[in-house]
Amino acid sequence: MIQKTVIVRPERCVGCMQCMIRCAEAHSQSKALASAIREPILAKPRIHLGVGPEGRPFPSKCRHCEPAPCQDACMPWAIRDDISPGLKIVDPTRCIGCGMCAMSCPYYVIRFYRDAAAPERPGVAVKCDGCHERVAAGGIPACVTACKTGALAFEEVNLYLKEGTNRLANAVYGVRI
Amino acid sequence: MRYVVVGLHAAGRSACLWLRKVDKTAEVIGLDPSPLPIYSRPLISYVLAGEMTSRDMVVAGDGFWQERGITVLGDRAVALDPARGGLQLASGRSLAYDRLLLACGARPRPVNLEGPMAEQVCFFRGRRDLERILGRVRPGGAAAVLGGGLVGFKLTMGFLKRGMRVALIVTSPRPLSLNVDAHVGNWVGERLKNTPGVTLLTSTSVRRVEAGSAAALRLDLDTGQSLEVDIVAAGKGVIPETGWLSGSGLECDYGVVADQFLRTEDERVYVAGDLAQAPDLIHGDRRVNAIWPVAVEQGRVAALNMAGIKATYGGSMAMNAIPVFGSKMISVGVVNPSLTKGCDEITTQGAGSGYLKLVFREERLIGAVGLDAPPRLGELAFAIRRRLRRRDIPSWWLDNPKQAAPLAAPGGFLARNARLT
Ligand SMILES: Cc1cc2nc3c(=O)[nH]c(=O)nc-3n(C[C@H](O)[C@H](O)[C@H](O)COP(=O)(O)OP(=O)(O)OC[C@H]3O[C@@H](n4cnc5c(N)ncnc54)[C@H](O)[C@@H]3O)c2cc1C
Ligand code: SF4
Ligand code: SF4
Repeated sequence: MIQKTVIVRPERCVGCMQCMIRCAEAHSQSKALASAIREPILAKPRIHLGVGPEGRPFPSKCRHCEPAPCQDACMPWAIRDDISPGLKIVDPTRCIGCGMCAMSCPYYVIRFYRDAAAPERPGVAVKCDGCHERVAAGGIPACVTACKTGALAFEEVNLYLKEGTNRLANAVYGVRI
Repeated sequence: MRYVVVGLHAAGRSACLWLRKVDKTAEVIGLDPSPLPIYSRPLISYVLAGEMTSRDMVVAGDGFWQERGITVLGDRAVALDPARGGLQLASGRSLAYDRLLLACGARPRPVNLEGPMAEQVCFFRGRRDLERILGRVRPGGAAAVLGGGLVGFKLTMGFLKRGMRVALIVTSPRPLSLNVDAHVGNWVGERLKNTPGVTLLTSTSVRRVEAGSAAALRLDLDTGQSLEVDIVAAGKGVIPETGWLSGSGLECDYGVVADQFLRTEDERVYVAGDLAQAPDLIHGDRRVNAIWPVAVEQGRVAALNMAGIKATYGGSMAMNAIPVFGSKMISVGVVNPSLTKGCDEITTQGAGSGYLKLVFREERLIGAVGLDAPPRLGELAFAIRRRLRRRDIPSWWLDNPKQAAPLAAPGGFLARNARLT
């Protein structure tokens, strides 16, 4: 299936962190920055700016792998693929915060925070959900709206890229198909 | 084509899903004597700790199988005849298959104790064990846990949460000795010792189980001491469920031996999960790494091969993540000190990076362990699988584990290090 996804072009990133801010805002209760920062459970960004060689910025987010190592490792089946096609989405109400997914994800894109969707839990896995609600409503992912340099773009999944990602997922497992 | 899957837990369920994904029309039959709905086994420790209800353990009800057109039989396989391609079931039925997956897992390793009350030792593997244990939990009472591995540790924390005093009795000099390095093992040991209600008895084993006078049971230890407890539970590892396969002619060592396609000696019979003695990535031999992610992955690889899509299994390795006293302890690969003698070790530096150690044998990464470290062991597990060497892990990563860009990123820094074949 070919569909649109967030494509990352790290060489264009200038490290402004706008994507992180907009991501957190989009995942807040109020969806507006000014009020989001006063919510009792602060929404957290699901895209992260890593520091690469020579201090170069590297925006990193979930690749929604297929097969997904995180999903394989999740014992309560909290990482679901039936919410939106092609996306691996954490269901915070099922997540027990065990850390198995983070131990399996090769990209360091899962973090643990309190989540307003499961306020009673001390920490759940928080990662990119593809902004599936915004996209279903005809919008584009929040991080992409923030990026002014083209380092993040919402584009048709380039078949080659998708294949590369899937091959990498398989390499992660050590499986060769 | 008829696929039959014996055992519908981690490995079997994953196989069923993938068989259906890659073969939309074939007949898929799953066999498991445990009643539906299927729950997730590791979650029993969360129920014991009172952090979850039994109902929340359920992960696949009837609808799950119906939607995918998978027939589930609540029956047990009792004998296999690979030459004729047939399974004998406990109900007396026999079932023919074109391709068979054995995913019937493992059972707790027996403890072989003496004494009239030895039968009272509880195990901790499934829902029934959980119920047996919950029936004996007495807030304010005393429990003993045998075995300092992950299940023993989870039992200890569970009893503690239920308001019991717990004696954790381990034969090795520290808890989790097989799972983590000495630093983390000692840290856990210290924390246990300083936790009110916990008595940690290391280098100790139980000899006999007698009826107690103040409590239900009395444990006689090899140190000469004895302990009175209301409940005793053991977590001493598992042994694969190979018993019923003894007449099948399949090669069984301690598990069912599998090749790199997860196939047994019979070309129509595959094996996955806790039952499978399959290639091990680091040791290079065949082992059972009895953990969830391995079972799920093997289920998938076996399913692909069963459906005629050649998929080579790269090998399993140990991986564990457990929350301990509000900290997160994660390990991948080989970090157990008795197996890493003579290996090089690097402990990463950097603000807020907790404890994160990488272990190299002859330049190759073979393991890593973290305590409250940034959750980066997935990258290191990847690096182990891709046989990365010490020089492939750049200093910008090692010096800044909290913020460094991922080692593995397609089109990114990884591409130069890992061969994608
Ligand atoms: C308390 C506990 C905590 C755990 N915590 C973790 C953890 O944190 N991380 C981790 O990675 N792993 C953990 N594990 C291990 C993990 O649960 C196992 O590795 C995993 O369940 C193995 O899956 P499996 O499908 O191979 O076998 P099993 O889970 O053993 O399932 C085998 C299935 O086969 C069925 N069966 C058996 N014999 C037959 C037969 N003859 N005919 C038909 N069906 C049969 C059984 O009913 C069962 O449903 C834990 C286990 C326990 C018990
Ligand atoms: S393994 Fe990591 S990158 Fe892949 S789907 Fe899971 S969280 Fe996303
Ligand atoms: S932390 Fe949550 S999402 Fe991750 S493996 Fe555990 S239960 Fe699943």
